[in-house]
Amino acid sequence: MNDPILKIQNLTVDFGGVRAVNNISFSLQPGEFIGLIGPNGAGKTTVFNLITNSIRATSGNIVFKGKSILGKSPDKICRLGISRTFQNIRLFPQMTAYENVELGLHNTPRYSLAEAFIRTPRAQRIEADTRRKAHELLEMVNLEAHADKRASSLPYGLQRRLEMARAMAARPDLLLLDEPAAGMNEDECEELIQLIRRIHDEMKYTMIMIEHHMKVVMDLCTGSRIYVLNLGSFLATGSPEEIQANPDVIKAYLGERKNGH
Amino acid sequence: MGYINTILILGGINVIAALGVSILTGYTGLFTIGHAGFMALGGYLSAVLIKEYEVHFVLALIIGGLFAGVASLIIGYPSFRSRLRGDYFAIATLGFSEAIRLLLNNMKQVGPLNIGGSFGYSIPSGMATVPVVVVALLLAMLFAHMFVTSQHGKNCIAIAQDEVAAEMMGVNLLRTKLIALFISAFYAGVAGGLMGLFFAYQSPSFYSITQSSNLLAAVVFGGIQSLIGPFITAFVLVAAPQLLLVMEEWRLIAYGFLFVLIMVFRPQGLLGYVEMNFNFVKAGWNKLVARKSISRKAVH
Repeated sequence: MNDPILKIQNLTVDFGGVRAVNNISFSLQPGEFIGLIGPNGAGKTTVFNLITNSIRATSGNIVFKGKSILGKSPDKICRLGISRTFQNIRLFPQMTAYENVELGLHNTPRYSLAEAFIRTPRAQRIEADTRRKAHELLEMVNLEAHADKRASSLPYGLQRRLEMARAMAARPDLLLLDEPAAGMNEDECEELIQLIRRIHDEMKYTMIMIEHHMKVVMDLCTGSRIYVLNLGSFLATGSPEEIQANPDVIKAYLGERKNGH
Repeated sequence: MGYINTILILGGINVIAALGVSILTGYTGLFTIGHAGFMALGGYLSAVLIKEYEVHFVLALIIGGLFAGVASLIIGYPSFRSRLRGDYFAIATLGFSEAIRLLLNNMKQVGPLNIGGSFGYSIPSGMATVPVVVVALLLAMLFAHMFVTSQHGKNCIAIAQDEVAAEMMGVNLLRTKLIALFISAFYAGVAGGLMGLFFAYQSPSFYSITQSSNLLAAVVFGGIQSLIGPFITAFVLVAAPQLLLVMEEWRLIAYGFLFVLIMVFRPQGLLGYVEMNFNFVKAGWNKLVARKSISRKAVH
């Protein structure tokens, strides 16, 4: 067995008096794809925010590629190889689709400021290289035709795909997808499943996906496992079949039948 | 002729400083009402270098600009470190700039140097001619364009649009903002130096809050994420009152009124998000060529 790429140990966070995430631990092998599900307010997005340190953990530890990333700034964590999408899309609205993706590629500018001012041949080569890579990523998510449109002008489903391309542009080892299928219809979900599967197969990312859409989760996590989060703690872990059959999970999602009825 | 020259030179100087503010406010989303302070720092240092140490004025201007840039880090580092933004950063710059002005106003002596306090500091004149200012302006425009279209500049734009997303995408906020501030203060410093060269003296009264708000106004009117917009408005804001001979007080009232109109009807500024390019020249040329070929066909 390899060393895990991500290891979360006894992670806890309090918001005032509310314990949003309570003592959770799990680890991920390189290349794994796991699902994270749970009712609204269970703390799923909070887990992502903790991993990327947009929220500071109260206690516990997060180890990525063998090193603790706890307390490192979000941009540093991204450059170490963890990239994410957002539940409520956060693209750069006035930039084109292409520029959004490009940003992920040059979050650390690849030539110096002096080279920027006089555009040395090296800087121009790097620009061309960045352009090619950005277009490749756009092609991968089937957005090539929309490359020059403003991100805010794209329809919702395409914005979600664009966010994925942008997250991939940061060359992550671990990709966190926060509800990629939110607001999509059946056909779009089917397309999305194909796309995510292809990304996982081709790019060899380790991935964690938060999703409410059961068909998407069950399809993509086949042969892998799903974590169920409820009220900040893990309720169950297992294969899609096990989760679907688990009475506790059904109870958490649907509530309990009153006795005697 | 002298009158036109004055307008060209003062307009050009104002445009250089406004391009600096555009990089910081228009492209990086950080409001500043204190760029007069950076102008003063650059201006006084280059004046001293020229008069006391007989440094060539081009070199003196660059050193003055660099000095303003370094000084900007004094206020930039703690502000950005503590994530001061929006109005708070603007107020910090205002305080810094006023502090500089009051220091210059009240200090007659800096070490062995007599800088004149509120009476100003006179320097040899005749160096800020129209060609000098035009060359400086063209270089300023070229470098600003190079910067905002570079990977460094695009990171600035990302911060302006969504700071959280930019940080999550791996953009180092502190570093990127400091770079934008440094360049922007450099522009202001050079503009301040040119101002002294033109008037043949430096005075703290040049660098009041009116000057700072003038520059901010140029960027807000001209448009965010645009160089050509602030270029035009910065020039017009200097030239128009001179040409129309409107009194100083009325100008400020007009500014206030224009500010409100712009914010209501065009919050992104007149040329907001319009990048400087020569596409319209190209388009015109193509049209011209097309017409020629048509008329040639008609002849045949």
